[in-house]
Amino acid sequence: MTESPTTPARRPPEQWKLAQPFGARSFAVALVVAVLLALSARHTEMDRLAFLSAEYVAHVLGLRVESQVARGVDRFVSTAFPLVIAEETPVARIDGFNRRHLPLLSHLEMRETSTSEYDFTQQKMVQRSETSEVLVRPVGYLVHVLGKMLESLEIALWATLFGIALGAPIAYLGARGYTPHRVLYVLARGSAGFLRAPPEFVSALFLVLAFGFGPIAGVLALGLHSAGFFGKFYADDIENADRGPQEALVGIGANKLKVLRFAALPQVLPQYLAYTQYVLERNVRMATVIGVVGAGGIGVELKGRFDMFDFGHVTTILLVIFLTVLGLERLSQWARARLI
Amino acid sequence: MLRFLEVTKRYPGGLTAMDRVSLDVPRGQFCVVLGPSGAGKSTLLRSVNGLTETTSGTIEVGGVALTPKTLRRVRAEVAMVHQQFNLVGRLSVLTNVLTGTLPRVSTPRSIMGVFPEEYRRKACRLLADVGLEEEHLYRRASQLSGGQQQRVAIARAFILDPKVVLADEPVASLDQASSLTVMRLLRETSAQRETTVLCSLHQVELALKFADRVVGMRQGRTVFDGPPGRLDSDALARIYRRDDEAIAAGGAEEAHRAEAARREAARAAGTMP
Repeated sequence: MTESPTTPARRPPEQWKLAQPFGARSFAVALVVAVLLALSARHTEMDRLAFLSAEYVAHVLGLRVESQVARGVDRFVSTAFPLVIAEETPVARIDGFNRRHLPLLSHLEMRETSTSEYDFTQQKMVQRSETSEVLVRPVGYLVHVLGKMLESLEIALWATLFGIALGAPIAYLGARGYTPHRVLYVLARGSAGFLRAPPEFVSALFLVLAFGFGPIAGVLALGLHSAGFFGKFYADDIENADRGPQEALVGIGANKLKVLRFAALPQVLPQYLAYTQYVLERNVRMATVIGVVGAGGIGVELKGRFDMFDFGHVTTILLVIFLTVLGLERLSQWARARLI
Repeated sequence: MLRFLEVTKRYPGGLTAMDRVSLDVPRGQFCVVLGPSGAGKSTLLRSVNGLTETTSGTIEVGGVALTPKTLRRVRAEVAMVHQQFNLVGRLSVLTNVLTGTLPRVSTPRSIMGVFPEEYRRKACRLLADVGLEEEHLYRRASQLSGGQQQRVAIARAFILDPKVVLADEPVASLDQASSLTVMRLLRETSAQRETTVLCSLHQVELALKFADRVVGMRQGRTVFDGPPGRLDSDALARIYRRDDEAIAAGGAEEAHRAEAARREAARAAGTMP
């Protein structure tokens, strides 16, 4: 308010001062950035990355160079296919096995397993073969994986519901103009930041300690993070909504909840749907891997099979995850197009 | 019905938007406030329902002095029609009109969006009164033309039969033909209900056509007060001051004033409601 219009000395337009691009300053900045990037590249082994990649390319081109990367890739690829979708269980290990009532889509087969062992009497290695009866379920493993995938989807669903239920009140308290008190505003904004700060994997680790292995830890870890996200973004949108309609209702004496419901929410609803859709999708992706730390879902199976080098099973799991995430994304795109 | 006593509004920057304004508007009067932009018309109107806080002086609505304690009670008796309509574009026409009843509908009911049948019927009648049809009921407000939107806003303003309606430049965003329709509807609807209207305008011809009484404002002061018939060139000169010197001097000051009002609005937006 106190500023007064300053009149610069009048000069002909040929002499008006123009900022020069790419001066000494930009050069200095570029130099500093280059040095910092070079230092950081050392920390992150970017030089080694270049070396290993070159080695691998040479190997692929048939230049007969030993390559660490190639060994890792070969190891996975050689055992990743064919996919394992069947499940075999030795009949001897099934409690109360009833030969007359086999489970759906299953049959019995004889398996010959050979083991080599050292025979002390003959003082040499001998091959022994054993035959055992196994129950074969041709798509048993696939069904098991799909069941675990469903568990992951359910974790994502509950985490998102949890996030909305907790995030909405945080957003209300953290929206200027609606918060009942300045202190609550700061607390709400702070807690939204606090909930978003720890990565889900870290909070899941602690939650597994508290609630044990299983989906509870997954739901809570993802849900709390989602609540922080909703708490911030819902509130930001309310603050940025057009004041006019809100003022119109304030002016006739409607209370804050009514103003929020009828003047703010209708304006921000499309964005809210977009956020919720994004969080749901993100939770699905996270729920497929959060099992790696024991927090339920398909990730538990993935981690277990990976650690046992059952790469055929791993491929099945990855394929199921991939197709599910892809399918859900398509589904939500379609739903969004219809809703807005 | 509406009384201003020595009302002054000074913005933190030192600018005076209303300078000891005293005004007494009797029941049922259609009182137009005329003046150039930045004269303090909006401030005058917005001080009645507390959207702008005054610095000193008293405002009475139906004999009740406006204080923080009586604010909510007074607001329920005062409705407003805004220059930018201030409808919620994504809500239906019907719901927009029904938001006018929010002060009388309980919070749980309104959260669920369940309005009493009586109000829903009344909304239909009012919409018919302002010339809208059944087919408009469930259209989104944003799909209507400017003139239609302002008519919806008039229906919203009158649904609780307020004692006072404030119309803040109600036709400034409309074309000539829509302006006449909207002004006529505002005039008729208020006349039927004996509603007191305080309407700010900057078009002299509309003031002459519709007002019972014209209050001229310039730089926060009332410089004219009388029936439209007395609004002669001398009075207009006082309001708009045609001489070049005054325009040059006033131009800078008005720009300053508009800037202050804008800042105030931004500040109010930060702390509202």
